[in-house]
Amino acid sequence: MVLDRSPRLDLVFHALAHPARRAIIRQLSGGERNLSELASPLKMTFPAASKHVRVLEGAKLVRRRIAGRQHLCRLRAAPLKEAMLWTEQFRQNWEVRFEALDSLLDEMKSEEKSRTRRR
Amino acid sequence: MTPKKGLQISTPTDTTIVLTRTFHAPCRLVWEAMFTPDRMRRWMLPPPGWTMTRCECEARAGGALRLAWKSEEADPAMTLQGVFTEVVLHERIVHTETMALGSGQTIGSLLEMHEFAEQDGTTTMRITQTYDSKADRDGALASGMDQGMEAGYMQLDAVLAQPA
Repeated sequence: MVLDRSPRLDLVFHALAHPARRAIIRQLSGGERNLSELASPLKMTFPAASKHVRVLEGAKLVRRRIAGRQHLCRLRAAPLKEAMLWTEQFRQNWEVRFEALDSLLDEMKSEEKSRTRRR
Repeated sequence: MTPKKGLQISTPTDTTIVLTRTFHAPCRLVWEAMFTPDRMRRWMLPPPGWTMTRCECEARAGGALRLAWKSEEADPAMTLQGVFTEVVLHERIVHTETMALGSGQTIGSLLEMHEFAEQDGTTTMRITQTYDSKADRDGALASGMDQGMEAGYMQLDAVLAQPA
């Protein structure tokens, strides 16, 4: 069970809440990439891409190692697995709306009943 | 036996998301709640700090779907536009859907099909969302993380299936 207040998970979700960083994660799912390889499909400068990678590193989603002039990045799957447990949380977010729909439907059923009675 | 009421989510193919939910109401009421603007505003709860500013829904073939929200930062913050392509009253309804940021930048588009089945006054609604690609589908799932608006649950199987 994932607790609602998990600073680490907050970091993970903050990190994933940007399209560029999700794109980076997607790229890294194919294996280790260097920073230039990550930056080019995003049409980003090296420093901008590096900034996003830093956020991902902070959330422990990505590990960067420097080999010569290359910054090689790879995915760390463990925090993502933890985030997966949040699927349930998000399902519940939708469920909240459907529960509002349940209440509305109850209301509509009563409306209909009282209309029938008046007739 | 009371049918299972809670929302079920599945991803039967790489480009689809299926939501299934049962409601204790006849189909025509569920339909009315789903596709009548005044009713839609009641249950389409926006994320905190957001307000729905536009809600138009013409549930007939060729009819338009136009929704917009504002946030504290932007008006509109997000729009959703679509066209109904197939409407079989109280049974099946299909519409296109394109979400865009207030700036006009498109976030994603999909085809959404709602199917309804009523039994003993209880209605099962099945929503099938079909995206153009797996990347789009996964993106929609992931963007739910900050919005809770689109598919508000994520699916990172694709990422996790790969060796780290």
